[in-house]
Amino acid sequence: MNTNTVTASSVPAVSGLDRRRFLKHAALASAAAVAATRSGLTPPAQAVETDTRWDKAPCRFCGTGCHVEVGVRDGKIVGIRGDAKAEVNKGLLCVKGYHVGMILYGKDRLTQPMLRRNGRMEVITWDEAIDVVARRILAAPERFAVYGSGQWTVAEGYASQKLMKAGLANNHIEPNARLCMASAVTGYLSVYGVDEPAGCYDDLDTCDVLILWGNNMAEMHPVLFSRILERRNRGEKIRIIDFSTRRTRTSEFADDYLEFRPQSDLAIANGIAHLLIRSGTYSKEFVEKHCAFKTDTAEHTLDGRPISFADYCRELEAYTPEKVEEISGVPAEKIRMLGELFGRKDVRITSVWCMGMNQHARGTNINRLVHGIHLLSGHWGRPGDAPTSLTGQPSACGTAREVGTLCHLLPGGRVVANPEHRKQSEAIWNLPEGRLNPKPGYHTVQLFEKFCTATDKGGDIQTLFTQVTNPGQSLPNLHKLFKSKQGLEDKFLIVCDVYPTATTELADLILPAAMWVEKNGIYGNSERRTQQWFRMVRPPGNARDDCWMTIAIARRLFELGHPGMKDKEGKFLFTFKNEKGEEVPVWEWERYYDVNVDRALFEEYRLFTRLKHKDLAPYDEYVKARGLRWPVVQQADGSWRETKFRFMEFDDPYVKKGAGIQFYHSVTKDDRAQVWFAPYELPPEVPDAEYPFWLGTGRVLEHWHTGTMTMRVPQLRNAVPHSYVEMHPSDAAEKGFKNGDLVKLKTRRGELELPLWISGRGHPPRGSVFVPFFDERIMINDLTLDAVCPVSKEPDYKKCAVDVQRGSQRSARPPGPTI
Amino acid sequence: MSVSRRNLFSKFLRPLQAGSKKAASTVGRAAAAGGSGESSPMERTNQVAVIQGRFCLAYQGSFCSVCYERCPVPNAIQLNEGVPRIVLEICTGCGVCHDVCPAPENAILVTERRPGFGA
Ligand code: SF4
Ligand code: SF4
Ligand code: SF4
Repeated sequence: MNTNTVTASSVPAVSGLDRRRFLKHAALASAAAVAATRSGLTPPAQAVETDTRWDKAPCRFCGTGCHVEVGVRDGKIVGIRGDAKAEVNKGLLCVKGYHVGMILYGKDRLTQPMLRRNGRMEVITWDEAIDVVARRILAAPERFAVYGSGQWTVAEGYASQKLMKAGLANNHIEPNARLCMASAVTGYLSVYGVDEPAGCYDDLDTCDVLILWGNNMAEMHPVLFSRILERRNRGEKIRIIDFSTRRTRTSEFADDYLEFRPQSDLAIANGIAHLLIRSGTYSKEFVEKHCAFKTDTAEHTLDGRPISFADYCRELEAYTPEKVEEISGVPAEKIRMLGELFGRKDVRITSVWCMGMNQHARGTNINRLVHGIHLLSGHWGRPGDAPTSLTGQPSACGTAREVGTLCHLLPGGRVVANPEHRKQSEAIWNLPEGRLNPKPGYHTVQLFEKFCTATDKGGDIQTLFTQVTNPGQSLPNLHKLFKSKQGLEDKFLIVCDVYPTATTELADLILPAAMWVEKNGIYGNSERRTQQWFRMVRPPGNARDDCWMTIAIARRLFELGHPGMKDKEGKFLFTFKNEKGEEVPVWEWERYYDVNVDRALFEEYRLFTRLKHKDLAPYDEYVKARGLRWPVVQQADGSWRETKFRFMEFDDPYVKKGAGIQFYHSVTKDDRAQVWFAPYELPPEVPDAEYPFWLGTGRVLEHWHTGTMTMRVPQLRNAVPHSYVEMHPSDAAEKGFKNGDLVKLKTRRGELELPLWISGRGHPPRGSVFVPFFDERIMINDLTLDAVCPVSKEPDYKKCAVDVQRGSQRSARPPGPTI
Repeated sequence: MSVSRRNLFSKFLRPLQAGSKKAASTVGRAAAAGGSGESSPMERTNQVAVIQGRFCLAYQGSFCSVCYERCPVPNAIQLNEGVPRIVLEICTGCGVCHDVCPAPENAILVTERRPGFGA
């Protein structure tokens, strides 16, 4: 086309100078309100003032775990820049990261505790608020539950865990990570006997082939994807294979885009294994030395049933490329291509995934199968040859999975049902023997079912305490799992948060929280990297730290005589001493920062981490580092060394000399990993005549989860101000819809109207629609299905059946939060 | 792409500007359109938009294509390997791309149309 195009720089690759300038400019603007100046040059960024103090912190948003530098002047954040010292992001951030400082400054921060009295929220004092919580607990300790988050800091999760399991002997504590990473956890546990990836992001720097299993990395882990594309800019070859149920921003960069029908990834993985066996290109050496075989059973347990290699091969017989094509829609020749690729020894293959495989009615099984093809083919155990799950949340690993804030776990990979694990935990916590409760609590979906069911009808959770999460928008099937709380008079919802949300709407007590750098914190990202930061600014009004709230509640319970708040010597569970050895009453807010509570809790928690070889270094090591990947092991010279590659002798100090690879937490106790067979099975709901379309949900680049923070940042809100539904142009044409028309989506659980965006950011195939979940005015989770993976209990947000009709013409936009 | 994006954006993807600090932009739009009051983004003005690569997220290797997605004029912004490029002869100068650009420093400059700049 003979057109005249001018841009300030005509090539996408920028010079080092431009990049540095960009990073510098990025510094100030993101936190200052940006005045839109359309004409004339953007005013030059002011020089960084000498009285601006810069300190490090991990980004508040996704599991990538980039580091930012936060500039503070006069008690306010005035700048954010990418931290060039951080290995994860080397100074780059995504659009959310550049604006992370502004999430503190939305106009409607919650600043006062509020109690619902006669249907109205009234401001009360913190003393009253803490007393209300403590008395609710005391009235029925076993009917109290905590619902937290993969955005909890390590100390926050650990304190809650201790209050619940050690103090109240109550296991009803869950994190929203149940909705997010639970299937990855059960996958790792059933394959390796221990949670979390063996590899790390370094695999992405060395792999020849990157397979994305339902992972829109360009939007969900953007800086990681940039890191991969950087390699192409440097002239390196990397082949990207994008398996997906819809074309995304990521697909644009893929060498192969393979579109499959929802749920049929199970068949594809089996098809690859089938070909490896049939052609004899599986790694006999790796299998003989390092693998054992298992199958899923009708009961869908974590342990499954051991089978022989011959049985395993027999199970796979049916998954011929033609059969797989029939199930998945992926052409047989592409399945053969994948089979050949995995059969080659001269390429390094890294698989990554996130919600596509985890929020899956057979989430555990698809996780097992993807690990399985890597093990079977021997694409395991060299840098660049790795199956690695990515986390959505910044501390899904660090807090939810490692601290173990799930209903069946104790810290450090222990389970409540194991008497030995309980004994170890009782010893570390100095509890009387037998204090810990052996029975797992309710998992998330069950927990909310019980909370939303009348007490006399078996709803035996009466008081629910939530922190750092917004279940009123993020749970599936919201009418059933959240909204039906309304009108149940004896149910009491306590919400700790920073802004009004869909969850605070139904709250009986609201506790205003400090966020991100308004408090000390520790996060743990996708690659086992533990990251620390210090408080840099004060929270607004009367907002306080979540961790303080937990300790203050425990203290109030102690004062009211709850016996569980004492250890076996009668000492309060949360006792902290300063350097002089004096006890500091940190439950008094004025005294909370007299000691570093995070540091004290972390040092206690560290004692739990050795059992599963997830050793953490002392707190002060993390102060110096931009995160360290566990196990962090002390060297002869006293220094602390992180581990990039677990189970591999060349890097993991816990592997026996000469073993090469050793799965030292093997469930079969013989250092072997389990290669699983699991069949393709139909999803719980499939489109039919009444509900003819697939509905999938997810995030967009600009917004974090339910949008409570990012929708209050003007730039992010302007960029994507409203939710929408994506549909294939031919489906839209058939229905007579035009771009922007209001359409009505209806499932068996609910309905809503929203605008249509054809050929927008994502491109669903025919017969399928996609809706992001960030917009609280358009609660897509009113429609989603609450069916869960039978092993991980994680709901499937990625597929259910929906009907699409023309919306009513009343197209007034519902009112939303103000910015 | 044959589907017009005009409907779409007038209905929902416009930034929520009512009575906000964005007043300056709205004035800018009227001025850019060479008139007063509401004007259609499809009418060619004496202005064009230019991307300042040093501020643009996509140029820096971060992901962004908001201007491309939100430009109401078909083909005025093209995307090549994720990097946007404004076709000055098609661009009407409506300024929507400027309003929606989420870069820390707004990467879009709306400037006078002149020889070599889409005139
Ligand atoms: S990629 Fe994730 S961690 Fe990095 S800047 Fe973006 S949101 Fe933050
Ligand atoms: S000013 Fe921007 S949004 Fe408007 S036509 Fe030109 S490129 Fe498109
Ligand atoms: S919206 Fe702004 S930052 Fe994003 S691609 Fe366009 S010019 Fe670049």
